[in-house]
Amino acid sequence: MTTNLSRRAFLKGATALAAAQALPISLVELAFADESQNFTFAYISDSHIQHIRGAKFVRNWDRGLIRAVAETNLLHPKPDFIMFGGDLAQLGSKPELDHGAEMLSALSGKVHHVMGEHDYYLDLGEYWSQLFGPHYYSFDHKGVHFVVLNSILTFDDWTFNRWPTAEQRMAEMAGLDNPNGSPFMVGDKQREWLRQDLEKVDKNTPLVVFSHSPLQKIYKGWNFWTEDAEPVQELLKPFAKVNVLYGHVHQIQYNQIGNISFHSVMATAWPWPYPASYAQAEQYLPKLTVPMNRADPFFERDATGWQFINMANGNVDLRYTLYENRSREVAYNDKTKQPEDSAYQPDSARIPPQTHY
Amino acid sequence: MKALALLGLALLAGAVYAEPLGLPPVPIPADNPQSAEKIKLGDKLFHDKRFSSTGAVACSNCHDDAKAFTDSPRRVSEGVNKLTGTRNAPTVINAAYMKTQFWDGRSPSLEDQALYPFLNPVEMALPDHGPILKIVRNDPDYAAAFQSVFGKSGEAITMKEVTQAIASFERTVVAGNSPFDRWYYGHDERALTPAQVRGFQVFVGQGRCVSCHVIEQTQALFTDNRFHNIGVGITAVQADVPKLAGAFLEAKAKGVDVDVAVLTDKKTSELGRFAVTDQFDDLGGFKTPTLRNIALTAPYMHDGSLKTLKDVMTHYNNGGIAKAGDRVNDFLSGGIRPLNLTSQQMDDLVAFMQALTSPEFAQTAAKAK
Amino acid sequence: MRNRQVFSAAALLSLVLAVPAQADEFADTDLKRWEQEFQTAVKEGRRLWTSPELGSNGVVCAQCHPNAANTHPETYPKFQKQLGKVANLWEMVNWCIRNPVEGQPLTADDPRMTAILAYVAYERRGVKLEPGKH
Repeated sequence: MTTNLSRRAFLKGATALAAAQALPISLVELAFADESQNFTFAYISDSHIQHIRGAKFVRNWDRGLIRAVAETNLLHPKPDFIMFGGDLAQLGSKPELDHGAEMLSALSGKVHHVMGEHDYYLDLGEYWSQLFGPHYYSFDHKGVHFVVLNSILTFDDWTFNRWPTAEQRMAEMAGLDNPNGSPFMVGDKQREWLRQDLEKVDKNTPLVVFSHSPLQKIYKGWNFWTEDAEPVQELLKPFAKVNVLYGHVHQIQYNQIGNISFHSVMATAWPWPYPASYAQAEQYLPKLTVPMNRADPFFERDATGWQFINMANGNVDLRYTLYENRSREVAYNDKTKQPEDSAYQPDSARIPPQTHY
Repeated sequence: MKALALLGLALLAGAVYAEPLGLPPVPIPADNPQSAEKIKLGDKLFHDKRFSSTGAVACSNCHDDAKAFTDSPRRVSEGVNKLTGTRNAPTVINAAYMKTQFWDGRSPSLEDQALYPFLNPVEMALPDHGPILKIVRNDPDYAAAFQSVFGKSGEAITMKEVTQAIASFERTVVAGNSPFDRWYYGHDERALTPAQVRGFQVFVGQGRCVSCHVIEQTQALFTDNRFHNIGVGITAVQADVPKLAGAFLEAKAKGVDVDVAVLTDKKTSELGRFAVTDQFDDLGGFKTPTLRNIALTAPYMHDGSLKTLKDVMTHYNNGGIAKAGDRVNDFLSGGIRPLNLTSQQMDDLVAFMQALTSPEFAQTAAKAK
Repeated sequence: MRNRQVFSAAALLSLVLAVPAQADEFADTDLKRWEQEFQTAVKEGRRLWTSPELGSNGVVCAQCHPNAANTHPETYPKFQKQLGKVANLWEMVNWCIRNPVEGQPLTADDPRMTAILAYVAYERRGVKLEPGKH
């Protein structure tokens, strides 16, 4: 039976029309018998607030975050909560984290944070933690179990013994293509915590896992990668509906591995080329992913954006709000059992993507 | 008007006629080919004041041939009974090249665009198109012209033929061959003053004007046909945007006329392109206008809020705000940022703007004064 | 005519006599040295690519272009709408220096520009030349 309960839910209040018009989401099948369980959340990520000196910050990145916050505040009905996907700061400094937190404070609604490597490697997440809480945690909301992982840890030797100063450690990890960097990982301790956390959860409960790095292996050279992705995926296997949402890559990616749907979210700061555009390396962009177009550097917001996420069927359906570009929706297709781009997927509707090179 | 009729005739020569320097061929829709008689008919319709509720307002009231097809120096246009709208009359010159019409692009073609001002309560304010059809079907001159151009008479004449004729006329209102064109495409080194040459360098360099006001290797339309929030208008209603946007979408869902809504309510007008697309990305966005003949069409911006070209340069130089320290609009388009231009560089840019006046409009404007 | 013959004869004679002096005969040591010379430019280019010194706001080229990806030097010269003309890569590099990194543009033959172009081209080695492509 084809229903459109989610859309109907939007149409309730008068102001709800704004969302109904701006966010035309229709869903085929709803897992939740109880309509009141349908909910949405917004996802903002990778703002890379960059301190210049004194009270000066890079304007371009500031504007990206300010705009995402302002647009998120326009949503009606309000999303149940807002995720921030990590890399709030560029070099993890107090002024950057404070400035970013101040801009985020304009959001109306509860914000959950994910740790990014740019937030972490200066003081190993200490100040971030004072502002935003624990590095990894879980919570339940309307029948969905949410897990937040700190996936950007690496080998202790690299973290503790390699660099003479914290600043240098931060700078080395901040360079995406820096060969002195080190692969991201969740690590034994956190995986054990995850195992215990998931033990208590019914296997039919929809699961949403937030990480900063992809919990899958795409391209190691730019750390589009998590070294212990397979053992983490193993822990998620027993669940019926699993969604992994990650930031870090500044581009649209999606994939299906077994029972796990993977989705990336956009950056508000700047877009990244797809790894295939690096002529000298092998990479594994998931075949499902229809790449975005290349950004036009004049339009500083081009190919950046934020996401509106619908949880109505226990799978995440992402609507990417892309500046200077038409919005895109990647939703779980119950027939093919994988996420698909609703506008770009059928050949007839597909905009030929530009080559990244 | 005579000069333009000549221009129109020149266009009709077809094969022997070349586009003015700096312009590509005018796109002509397949279902509305140009003809001398059709253009003449359109010209007449364009200037006919009877097509308004008071009999005092023609298209040409706000798109005056003598004022580079605007109503300069009015801030916003004045329709019947001195009623004013919310927007500054955009020029008809080179509108033929635009991919959408109106400041917010709510109309896809010149033919479609011509339907709306007749009915808008603050423009020509007719209750419907009936009075126009009555005139063109019964006025002997019009009847003869429609018969000759479209082979139609009486009830067979509809707004389709009326708007096709008007659009045909508008497609002859093109202007290139400015001092800039003679300098850049004609390689006449003396066509520009040293200040104008310096202004050009700022235009394509530090001022980054060229990214939206497009110049190409062989032609220059000075528009990207896109919509941008440059911090004009929306800044004043910033705090109201959530309420305005919601209320507007609600009204639209109930069937409110967008054309009327945006021209009769100042605050709704500032939503810009959003009113057409419902997309957050288009909040406060307006179409990039051409810059050709810009020196003749003050004041500037969709709301006519900037009096002089120097004011415009200052606005851009400040990064989309009237003065340094003002709050930047949350939805400002990327690309609008402080430019660190000196006053001299801004003066040079203004000088360059003056090099974009086409000779025929410089003459008509001079005569009108 | 006669002059030329005299000249050729003299050239031939010098060829026979001076064994190692052929201008186009490169030894492996030459090739290696020149490659090293080139690599110093690449290395300097990489340093500049990841250094804030070209700009004024701390932003570096590599932030948006890791490994010089999406710079596609093999497509230049080509029409760049940011410049309003068919442009060379160095002009687009200057656009980026002026805009995202808010610095002062370099002259075409500035050694720093040469180094940047060397680095960008090196990261794209082996890619087919496609001038004008978008």
